[in-house]
Amino acid sequence: MSAQTPLSDDDRALAGEYVLGLLDEAEVEAFEARLLTDPALRDLVAEWAEAVVPMADGEDVPPPGTTWLNIEQTLFGNEAKSVPFWRKLGIGQAVFGAMAAAGLAFVVINGGLLQPDVPPRSQAPVMRADLAAQIAAEDASLVVAALFDSRTGEMRLNAVAGEMPTARARELWVIAGNSAPQSLGLLEVSGATVVHVPDALRGQMAGAVLAISDEPLGGSPTGAPTGAVLATGPVTAL
Amino acid sequence: MLARVAMGDREAFAALYRATSAKLFGVCLRVLIERAEAEEAVQEIYIKIWRNADRYAAGGYSPMTWLITIARNHAIDRLRKRRAMIIRGEAGGGTDGDGGSVLDRMADDAPGAEAQMIAQGDARRITGCLGELEPDRSEAVQRAYLSGETYADLAAHFNVPLNTMRTWLRRSLLKLKECLSR
Repeated sequence: MSAQTPLSDDDRALAGEYVLGLLDEAEVEAFEARLLTDPALRDLVAEWAEAVVPMADGEDVPPPGTTWLNIEQTLFGNEAKSVPFWRKLGIGQAVFGAMAAAGLAFVVINGGLLQPDVPPRSQAPVMRADLAAQIAAEDASLVVAALFDSRTGEMRLNAVAGEMPTARARELWVIAGNSAPQSLGLLEVSGATVVHVPDALRGQMAGAVLAISDEPLGGSPTGAPTGAVLATGPVTAL
Repeated sequence: MLARVAMGDREAFAALYRATSAKLFGVCLRVLIERAEAEEAVQEIYIKIWRNADRYAAGGYSPMTWLITIARNHAIDRLRKRRAMIIRGEAGGGTDGDGGSVLDRMADDAPGAEAQMIAQGDARRITGCLGELEPDRSEAVQRAYLSGETYADLAAHFNVPLNTMRTWLRRSLLKLKECLSR
């Protein structure tokens, strides 16, 4: 079903014009029709988008606290019973398995099923993550997103893809500079984990590498990874 | 994390907001300049993200590029509507402005596109490649991206016919692409 054509200079410029917003309405429509059937053109647009985004990126400025409250109010304000976690299950089926347990807990705690007047999430302590990592297997069979707040040492991890086994453990490691891997603890079977990075390591997180290894239940008996390293990812600034 | 947001996971959405809102608000401020308008824009942007997170995978963008692109495009839409409203001297929505000299004056009131261009980290590559273009052509690319100027706006600003402007800019884009691919 593809209407692929080899990419010409014309397309290269056109994709740039599209990303910069220089095409008129009719041209946009025609271009987007082609995008639907032409993966090479889509890649070209993605390349352009990646290339120009730094122009818009600069100093981070935290929005006022009311912004989040307004967003929550707009999206969830009238939903006393909350949005079911599986609302869009059809779309995210692949990761649902890993998330099912977390999802259930989430609905019970946050969904207001037990306490309809439970305060909104925004009143939970705010994490101000300044570092992040995507710890991923090469084939993306396991992907865990990590956010780290270097002021508090709190790291939150969420499994985005892949199942957490119950018969084995998944252990999180940090490799800072040339040091040997140091354990940060085990990942929760639910897929959502919070770990507290020891003070001595906090300052070394930027530029470090996070890794997840396969270990016996209870974690590595030796203090070093003993099983296969399943996924790795560099810690980068947000 | 976007995958979880797409599944309707509010906690993931809150985490995404905590991790990215300062960056996206910064983008809104750079485009819109006015703080109150940037605040409204960033709210609308997160509402869009919540509703459209399931479309993320389709584009092939990295997550941050996807988010910044949504923010930039939304801010530009607002900017263009604001201009169109001012040009017509009326309230109410507008289409993408095509207001020649008025737009031009407005753009000149805003901090220069060059001043808004911040060379840091990832920006180095695009900055380097823009630097290889003639200064007015690099300025045109930045005016289009950060100020949402149309070909008509750019033609008026650089005082060239519209077709010339387009030929000029397309040629610059090809050079830019070639440099970025090196």
